Amino acid sequence: MSAAIGMEVLKAKGRKIWLVVAIMMAVQLLWAGWAISNKDANDLAQGWMFFLYQFPMLNCIIMPVIAAVVASRLSDVEHKGQTFKLLETIIPTKRIFAAKFVWGSIYMLGAALGQLAIMIGMGVVLHFGGPVPWGALVGYLLFTLMVSLTIYVFQQGVSMLVANQMVPMTLGLVGGFIGLFSMFFPQSFQKLILWSYYGVLMQVGMNWDPITRATDFYWKAIDWPGLGLILVFFGLIYGIGQTLFVRREV
Amino acid sequence: MSNIIETEGLSKQYGGVYRVKDVDLKVPEGAIYGFLGPNGAGKSTTLKMILGLAKPTEGAITVFGKQVNSKNRLENLKNVGSLIESPSYYGHLTGEENLRIFQTLRGVPEQNINDVLKIVRLENQQHKKVNQYSLGMKQRLGLASALLGYPKLLILDEPTNGLDPAGISEMRELIQSLPQKFGMTVVVSSHLLSEIDQLATRVGIIREGELVYQDSLTKLHQYSQQHLAVRTLNNEVTKAFLSQNGVVWEAEDDYLIIPQMKDTMMAEISKALGQNNIGLVRIEERKKSLEDIFLELTGTAVSL
Repeated sequence: MSAAIGMEVLKAKGRKIWLVVAIMMAVQLLWAGWAISNKDANDLAQGWMFFLYQFPMLNCIIMPVIAAVVASRLSDVEHKGQTFKLLETIIPTKRIFAAKFVWGSIYMLGAALGQLAIMIGMGVVLHFGGPVPWGALVGYLLFTLMVSLTIYVFQQGVSMLVANQMVPMTLGLVGGFIGLFSMFFPQSFQKLILWSYYGVLMQVGMNWDPITRATDFYWKAIDWPGLGLILVFFGLIYGIGQTLFVRREV
Repeated sequence: MSNIIETEGLSKQYGGVYRVKDVDLKVPEGAIYGFLGPNGAGKSTTLKMILGLAKPTEGAITVFGKQVNSKNRLENLKNVGSLIESPSYYGHLTGEENLRIFQTLRGVPEQNINDVLKIVRLENQQHKKVNQYSLGMKQRLGLASALLGYPKLLILDEPTNGLDPAGISEMRELIQSLPQKFGMTVVVSSHLLSEIDQLATRVGIIREGELVYQDSLTKLHQYSQQHLAVRTLNNEVTKAFLSQNGVVWEAEDDYLIIPQMKDTMMAEISKALGQNNIGLVRIEERKKSLEDIFLELTGTAVSL
């Protein structure tokens, strides 16, 4: 398995995948800077909660795009060079799928850690109120990763099965937008949409007073059923994707 | 001589239609087996089934004396190198990096990379990105990937496809040298009769998914032996006359095709026909070309 993962690293050479992740992180950094720029000292007192509320919303669109691009970049080299038919005579087909998943996950982890660094960096520099909420930040990292890996494995499955990479890219973008807009719908509906889980697993809620137009953030309990469901989604999508990939004939 | 590959009743259906039907392939050890057939005859599908890339609808495959199944497939394929349809490569990587990937995954010594690059004469191009290779170079890289583990069996599907005459000749020389140099058994498929004629020691011809011929190339050539074509003013009476005298005949247009015979024998037939008032108007020596035989067997125009 380690050899297969190592070879994924070599195959990704020159594919500029980290550049895509970096660009998306730069977008997130700029957005965070803009969002916090008009906040006064009172607002900054809730700075950590503000970020932990806004970042998952932005992730509905940012992370699916990263997942779609990473999965596509890792898979299209195989389609272009018709390498699956050779690889499948050397290593088990399941291992090809797994190695690609492991290496793709590293990019998703990189993106999630990048977001965390942006949050902590800005929080420390701008002196957000109170101590750094390490527990919530670790929770954010884990939940973001869990949802992102589920979306990534979906993207990987489609990218490996379909040679035309426009299909998974379009699916990724459409999914992201559905995820974003589903936040305006009830939670029961959100839980049916894979891309909505960044919102489902948010640890912060917001009250907005339409008269004073003031916002107030509060800590929310973890949505354990939601977490359980995303784990089920992950298992199902991985299993289905892998089975379809193994069963298809080259 | 034992068979490296044996298939029994190998069949494959796509959408209820048999693309390969009841193929009993027998590839002897040390042979260069030419798998010949027109485009779409089922060559690639058969080879893919042997490699486990397609699942047979019916039938059994035995490679190295072991029946292949999904569990032992990769274990069996450790001694098999393959190049199916077109070379597999990562265009954004160099030739050497491509081989490194397959060498690492195969778990064979690193030194094999340099060795196979020399065999396929790509050692001077190894640091060039494969996207910049010509088709011939890509085919040679594909062959190098297949050779990495010095397999006992090499399966090459249309390895000369798309190559110019010089490339075809070079690839042919390479393939021909493999059994002697490395003791490999080679299965090479092609729709080009001339290609297989110059390369193979044994040949299998597939037509619309069915194996219509399988034997040595020498035997196939025997079918092209000379014969005589005679035309008389009354072929019907001549047929009866020939049969009475034990001469095998076959009607073809206005001619009767009879086996090659001594001049004295032909003179006697001619004399006897004259005595029976049957005017002999033509005696021609004919030879079936290999193309004619291929055409008869496959029912399609031969690719030259």
